[in-house]
Amino acid sequence: MTEVLTRPITPRHPSTPRNDDVTRLLPKPLLVIVIAVLLVIVLAPVLYILFASINSDVSVAQGAFFPTELHFDNYVKIWSTVDLGNGLFNSVVVCGAVAIVCALLAVSSAYVLVRYSFRGRLTVLRALLGLQSIPGTLMLLPVFVLFSTAATTFGIQIIGTRSALFITYLTFALPFSTWVMVTYLRGLPRELEEAARIDGASSWRILTRIVIPLSWPGIVVSAIFAFLLGWNDVLFASVMTNPESRTAAIALQVFGATQEGGAIPLYGEMMAASLICAVPVVVLYLVFQRYLVGGLTAGGVK
Amino acid sequence: MTTTTPASVTRAAPQADGRPLGSTPTGGRPARRRGRSPNERNRPFWMLAPGGILMILVIVVPLILAIVISLLDLDQYTLRSWLQAPFIGLQNFIEALTRSTLLRSIGISVSFAAIAAVVTLPIGVAAAIATQNKFVGRGLVRSIFLIPYVLPAFVVGTVWRTMLQPGGVVDDALASFGIHTGLWLNGPQSFWALILVQIWSSWPFFYLLVLAGLQAVDHEVHEAAAIDGALWWTKLRYVIFPYLRGPIALAVIISFLHNINGFTLPFVLFGVPAPQDVDVLPVLTYITSF
Repeated sequence: MTEVLTRPITPRHPSTPRNDDVTRLLPKPLLVIVIAVLLVIVLAPVLYILFASINSDVSVAQGAFFPTELHFDNYVKIWSTVDLGNGLFNSVVVCGAVAIVCALLAVSSAYVLVRYSFRGRLTVLRALLGLQSIPGTLMLLPVFVLFSTAATTFGIQIIGTRSALFITYLTFALPFSTWVMVTYLRGLPRELEEAARIDGASSWRILTRIVIPLSWPGIVVSAIFAFLLGWNDVLFASVMTNPESRTAAIALQVFGATQEGGAIPLYGEMMAASLICAVPVVVLYLVFQRYLVGGLTAGGVK
Repeated sequence: MTTTTPASVTRAAPQADGRPLGSTPTGGRPARRRGRSPNERNRPFWMLAPGGILMILVIVVPLILAIVISLLDLDQYTLRSWLQAPFIGLQNFIEALTRSTLLRSIGISVSFAAIAAVVTLPIGVAAAIATQNKFVGRGLVRSIFLIPYVLPAFVVGTVWRTMLQPGGVVDDALASFGIHTGLWLNGPQSFWALILVQIWSSWPFFYLLVLAGLQAVDHEVHEAAAIDGALWWTKLRYVIFPYLRGPIALAVIISFLHNINGFTLPFVLFGVPAPQDVDVLPVLTYITSF
């Protein structure tokens, strides 16, 4: 299924105006209405983030869409109100490390799974699909218990550190990343590898000198998905971090709560921080859109 | 692994199949078990080890642990010493079903997931059908359509929580049309608020799948429909939709499961403890856990 969907979505025929008339599915007025309505639905909240992020808190609370007074200092204050900088740093470090390690593990596992046949190979492939569908909430408590057991038995404190998040995200990103790489490597010709093997290259050499250089697009896709899994996670980060190691997603939640005791929340700064957390993700997607869309539709992950 | 066949036969066997040396069809066993190619003699299984060990340690072991814990008498104070806990069989399940709000939460989760998936469907189909033909700015429109889906769920939740607050921008906009609604983030309406936000952030998924399905419609089919003089509605209903049945079914199933498992959106939108009417399963699990 994934193989079919990883094709970039482009029209199959170079369409001339005449062809276009044949394939058109909606009458033109209706088409314009549909697109316009959808654009408004999408853009209204997106623009709202932008406008509210430079608005005053009171004005946002009163329900103004356009800013009544300009508060660009929201973008300055967010770094001191909550330690957003630390949160972003943690997110980038953890998710970046997860992305790199995950892609490398995925490509080596996928290489073995695609190029060698052995008993249990199909079971492993099916398990990769099955593991993707386990809900995170089910795993939360057992993983927590496992980590705290490791802490009491071996004296290694994992919970509350960045490595706890690293291990968790890495493991949960692996099944999908490996699956992406399996579908990618299946499409690579094996002649180059065979030529190298005849020349006496070892499996490791073939992997590092031939397979990895040839499969950069697949590696980038699986790395990005691993990165985003960590970046978008709230569930594990809310439990396994302390103020020192918390990620951007958790730091953002603090904005809503900092002003408790009657005062209105710091809406302006909250929207500015939201925008800053969202921009890297949206940019990644829009830049790598062609490659990522296939993965999006394959598993319903984001 | 020692083979009794002479080396020459081993080498010759794959070639006799008309295949290049060392290639076995992916997805199947080697064609002849006697003919082991050099490939199969030193398979680098160690490359599977790091990922495999991690997945077994952090996914499979906790899964088994989850089943074991579900049969033990534990609470948050004795959790750390779970090895000494008494075995109580299925009593936890009975207690969960009879004494807690579990059944209610299952009901809320399933109806939320089903309603959100079904309502999202026509929006995605309409978007895909509208953008399938070239027009000026189509690339931009397609990119914009992706935005709600790629925004992190915690950002979507934060933004909509701000917009839906009492006296917020949504209330204001509705009031200008003379519509006055009650609270969005609490009370019975919060269920619909959750559905609304979920639809906003997940419709591009349907759009992407349906768009991929539309690519499968051959140009000849369009031409045939045009020659027969099919009106646009007839063409959609009887020519195009049959092609989309597969992608649509897939999209509904995946998004239903995705909605049921979704934790971040209700968690960020309503906070914990969640209002009674949006006490969906993942949030209930989270609160019960910690």
